[in-house]
Amino acid sequence: MAISTEPEAALSVLPRADGSAKYSHAGYTVTASVNGPIEAQRRDEHAYEAVVDVIVRPAAGAGGTRERHLESILQSSLSQIILIKNFPRSLIQIVLQIESTPENDYVNTKLVQASLNFPIIPALLQTAVLALLSAAVPMRATATASVVAVVPEGQTKRMVVDPSPRDLDIAKSVHVLAFTSHDELLLAESEGDFTVKEWDDVYETAQRICCRPATTAETDMAIDDEAAGPDMRHFLRSTMETKIAADLHWK
Amino acid sequence: MPREAEPSLNEKQFLLQAIQENLRLDGREPDQYRPLGLTFGDEHGVADVTLGKTRVLARASAEVTVPYADRPLDGVFTIATELSPMASPAFEVNRPTETEVLLSRLLEKTVRRSGALDTESLCLVAGQKCWSVRVDVHVLSHDGNLIDASCFAVVAALRHFRKPDTSIEGGVLTVYTPAEREPVPLGWLHSPFCVTWSYFGDEGETALLDATRAEEQVRVGSCTISLNRHGEICQIAKLGGTPVDALMLLQCTSIALAKVKEISSLLDRKLDEDTKQRNKGGRAAELTAENDR
Amino acid sequence: MAATEQPIVLPGDAIDPSLIPTHKKQPLRLGPGLRHIPPSYIVPTVAGQLVTDQKKNSMWIEYNSTRYIPSANDLVIGQVQRSATDLYYVNLSPYTSNAMLPHLAFEGATKKTRPQLAAGALVYARVTLANRHMDAELECVSATTGKAEGLGPLVGGMAFDVSLGLARRLLMARSREAGGVEVLELLGAEGLAFETAVGRNGRVWVSSDSAKTIVLVGRALRETDEGDLGVEKQRKLVKKLIRGMR
Repeated sequence: MAISTEPEAALSVLPRADGSAKYSHAGYTVTASVNGPIEAQRRDEHAYEAVVDVIVRPAAGAGGTRERHLESILQSSLSQIILIKNFPRSLIQIVLQIESTPENDYVNTKLVQASLNFPIIPALLQTAVLALLSAAVPMRATATASVVAVVPEGQTKRMVVDPSPRDLDIAKSVHVLAFTSHDELLLAESEGDFTVKEWDDVYETAQRICCRPATTAETDMAIDDEAAGPDMRHFLRSTMETKIAADLHWK
Repeated sequence: MPREAEPSLNEKQFLLQAIQENLRLDGREPDQYRPLGLTFGDEHGVADVTLGKTRVLARASAEVTVPYADRPLDGVFTIATELSPMASPAFEVNRPTETEVLLSRLLEKTVRRSGALDTESLCLVAGQKCWSVRVDVHVLSHDGNLIDASCFAVVAALRHFRKPDTSIEGGVLTVYTPAEREPVPLGWLHSPFCVTWSYFGDEGETALLDATRAEEQVRVGSCTISLNRHGEICQIAKLGGTPVDALMLLQCTSIALAKVKEISSLLDRKLDEDTKQRNKGGRAAELTAENDR
Repeated sequence: MAATEQPIVLPGDAIDPSLIPTHKKQPLRLGPGLRHIPPSYIVPTVAGQLVTDQKKNSMWIEYNSTRYIPSANDLVIGQVQRSATDLYYVNLSPYTSNAMLPHLAFEGATKKTRPQLAAGALVYARVTLANRHMDAELECVSATTGKAEGLGPLVGGMAFDVSLGLARRLLMARSREAGGVEVLELLGAEGLAFETAVGRNGRVWVSSDSAKTIVLVGRALRETDEGDLGVEKQRKLVKKLIRGMR
């Protein structure tokens, strides 16, 4: 099964939600819906801010503790970029439906309940950001994310961006980093054994992918190395430009 | 607690008046379905169904488990439907609403209890190991008629699904990975589909097929008929609502049969197209093991 | 009003200072989609096209969405939820908290002669108060003149949902030139008799003697909205619908 190396996205795919997006990259496909700002339940409402509620539904099986963990990570990240102070006592409801994850063809997988937490976080975050943009929920910045694994290769280690399930099996550590469009670090989760130097290398790799400044086509091809991944910011911008051009066709 | 948005008096009155004049908001006939779309995923067992603006995703999966103690020769088959706020902000996770309970119950009766899937074929080692097939139904968008769309998605997903091939030698079970042996389809006996009629008027005298959400909110009764293309009825559910004339019900049932034949051939066509696309190398002929029925 | 450059911006983008209009006397006014971070940062909060108006010294982001957020002086179509001692609770968009409409905020209303609105009734009202800390407030009469000026209960007819962008274009003074929407005029030109009220909260009320006409107008609006139809395609759509009707 060919795994796409370039991300793909479609916006406003769900007609009845305020905003929605479907995003796929590196074998993960996620559909997100955003509703809000709507009225929060009395027991959930906050006097001065909007409550951001994230719900993650796995592809197969009922949700469990793993999904709750993903939800809390996403909830704290998204609450920082959404302008929650604009909507006191309201609710921004984000539902993320995982549609597919990359299969490991060589192992007979028992029903896996989203045990690969980390590599799916960038896809979830990216889909949520696209859906929020489609719903026109006011935000202070956009965000991009990527996952990097530190894989041993002989005596050395190399950074693998968007690791495959096989890479993940042999990796010594896996890291997820997200950056806002102001180059601030929004999210950093790591798992495994790693040194501070390795984390710094991971940080630089992720930053290169997520924070590539908007350059013209000729100048930014100087970045070589096998860890070069897709330009997430550029992708986000071009997806939105297409959508806005369609919305404003009447101008 | 769901806070369903009620339609205004103007909307209710107009819808009822329009239906009396044989007009539907989208210009359909009373017995016309909205465009029914079906796409299969890259993996086996994923069916994405669109019925107008309603969208349902069904995903079939299987794992090896221990059979129930009182049914040692049968496999396990479950259908899980859980409506999330993605379908509508009126739904909450872990708080089943009436819609959800009814949907779950109707799918259960239509697909599970009617024996569409041959659970005996799921048995691997009597009393010890069997396949547990699970279909997860995700409603992505709710614009009415979740029942018909979900049932279609479940049946499509199950017929599209392939479980890993197995063999038993001397009491030792081997489950082959997809890389070792091509996965095989499930033992399928018949394909049931649901057809839901909605009734309007003081005596339920006007019947409409495939109601949109707005039409569902003003209807006075509904009836779901589940049957397969051979005319074998799995169940008829008319749960409360205004009483409907018996002859009208019979008429609804016969129109339902015509619709099910159309839906059934659509599914067959889509499955064929999908198979052709996957097996461009021509390996399809060697691998078919399903019953033709 | 073609500006020199109308860039597409994402939330948090830096705005080129040369695009910000200046005026000798009037202060700069920020419309939807922009926020001001003192002392001098203006930042977009949504994704859309940056539009500036030199004459009025204002700038805003042009974008389309479906979730209405109340703003003062908007004309909206609300649905009465229930009546309290001296006000109605009116809902402007699904799943949001209700706005308040005083019982006496109608033309010539006194305690004995005020309109009695049942739950589920539709009203055409103006937003008088809207801020994030309070529930919105409405009126069905102009505070200055005391006349209704088209506001008040909407009886009969049917309400359709449209996107906020289309609602705004329908409300423009010159909806064909400035908003690129002509579908209602075209339907009228084909001989259909109907009246409409457009709410900035994404609802359009249509009333006519003929139910068929209302259904046709509803379909025209929906297809124009969902299909992003330009004026040419709207013409074709209207012709197709009229043909289908006859």
